[in-house]
Amino acid sequence: MKKTIPLLIVILGGLIFVAWAFSPHYIIQEVFYNQFYLPWVYASSGFAMLLGVISLSMMHSNKIKRKGPKWQYSWFFFASFIVTTLAGFIGGTQKGGLLMWMFENMQMPMSATMFSLLAFYMASAAYKAFRARSPEATVLLVAAIVVMLAQVPLGVKISKHLPTISQWILDVPNLASKRGIALGVGLGSVATSLKILLGIERSYLGGGD
Amino acid sequence: MNLFERMQKLDRRWIYIVVALAIIIPLMIPYDSDNVTTPPTENLYQMIDSMAGREDRAILMSFYHDAATMPELFPMEVAILRHAFERNVKVFALTWFPAGAPIIDYAINSVKEEFPNIQSGVDYCNFGYKPQAFAMIMGMGDNIANAMNTDAEGRKLENLPIMKGINNYSEMNLVVEFSGSSAGMTWIVYARPKFGLNVAVGVTAVMAADLYPYLQSGQLIGMLSGLKGAAEYEKLVDIFAAYRDPAIDYRVNMDEDGKKILPGRPFGREILDDASSLELSKITTQTKARFSHEQFVAFSSKYPEHLALLNSLREEEEGKAVIDVTRITPEMRDQMGEFLYRELNQLTRNTQYKFKVARIGMNAQSVAHIMIIVFILIGNIGYFIQKARGQNV
Repeated sequence: MKKTIPLLIVILGGLIFVAWAFSPHYIIQEVFYNQFYLPWVYASSGFAMLLGVISLSMMHSNKIKRKGPKWQYSWFFFASFIVTTLAGFIGGTQKGGLLMWMFENMQMPMSATMFSLLAFYMASAAYKAFRARSPEATVLLVAAIVVMLAQVPLGVKISKHLPTISQWILDVPNLASKRGIALGVGLGSVATSLKILLGIERSYLGGGD
Repeated sequence: MNLFERMQKLDRRWIYIVVALAIIIPLMIPYDSDNVTTPPTENLYQMIDSMAGREDRAILMSFYHDAATMPELFPMEVAILRHAFERNVKVFALTWFPAGAPIIDYAINSVKEEFPNIQSGVDYCNFGYKPQAFAMIMGMGDNIANAMNTDAEGRKLENLPIMKGINNYSEMNLVVEFSGSSAGMTWIVYARPKFGLNVAVGVTAVMAADLYPYLQSGQLIGMLSGLKGAAEYEKLVDIFAAYRDPAIDYRVNMDEDGKKILPGRPFGREILDDASSLELSKITTQTKARFSHEQFVAFSSKYPEHLALLNSLREEEEGKAVIDVTRITPEMRDQMGEFLYRELNQLTRNTQYKFKVARIGMNAQSVAHIMIIVFILIGNIGYFIQKARGQNV
């Protein structure tokens, strides 16, 4: 019983959305979707956000209580959370307010800095990994150099054919492998969805069976 | 450790220093370079441009990212907003991400500063953060005002002038999703098959390869990939949307035949392929507006009250009439008025920093890519020489 009811909810919910996707009938499109489902979605999204905030706060407060690894950083979470929330509620979210100032002068440069570190790791990884040790590695190396050069204005100065060659690499060999992966993922998703709808796949309910 | 072993085991700190310098120096010293435009960028540009001046067409920009991916995505957003504002294309903006809401404000405010006539609720509408992407995407297919209800400022959508002629995806029939993931897929899977919505994406360079299959199949009508895509779009905006014909008087909205006068000009392959188009997309500072003699006569005849002033500023250079805007004193500026001053500045083809960020970034990326390739070659040279000598590698 503990698993039968959740299982029935999932199957019923799945079947309703299959009907919604394939049937243009008024009851499913208007009565169910527009009049019932959408208002519920709007109402529940606020609670979902609240749940997230409560969960995050509990996680950090427990960490501080237990003095877990790097527990001091959890204070930064509370400080940032309170300051940004107050800034938004008191000063508003438009330009000229404290929230926007913090966004432009703190969050934006800090986040961009973290992301830009990727360039350094990629440069170091490319230097270490790209060795022409085998014919396959050589093909990869040559393709990488051609695509890297064609991406930038300097590459076009070296040869006007570089962008064409690079586009061919992206459109033909790259797409062939991408499509293979995408088809595999797509078929796998359909199979898994069907297994869930038919009650064969139950691992999402937890437990061993 | 011999030289060739060292070539293979360079300390990563040297790599970091060289890459840092390769990025910082070109950022500090911009130079003109040509970012060759690619079909995915051109297709998106043309699609947006096809809506120029139309009441019954609009684009939707979905900002599905946070500040971390802004260096790559923000220049794209600014370039598209600039294009839309130059060419009178209605713009709607939203985000499914709470952290995306300030990015919309920041982007719109940055561009709007240069367009004093652009108004919220009339020329653009910001929906702000909306939860439950799936429900909204499907809801907008039936009726945008019902699904979104209010804009970010809390105004009822149905009362806004921008909604005149805009009901659902039949009118707002292009969405551009900006993200550092394959989030654009949601639009392809749900909105495109059911409502025929045109979908385009602006993604970080690392995500571009994942989306190529959808571009080739036509499910995506265009794609801006990373900083390169943004640089290409900036160039197109400079050459076409920001173009000003010296002979046309942009103060009037209609010509003699009753046709709308729109700033800029339509996309043209022959213009793009012409070497002279590079003059319109320079990123170095330009201070001189150049006219042929016929153009100068046509331009100055638009301002008969300022003819003497324009003639006093006129110089001759290589058979062209030239006005150097740095010679305009504050008194002259007051005398000629803001419109003429802005038009002269626009005719210098000088691009403001915020509208050329991606192209400056691409210069840095050029040097960084070359340096990375040099490091790869150094490592491989060391490897092959050691291998040829029969030493362990």
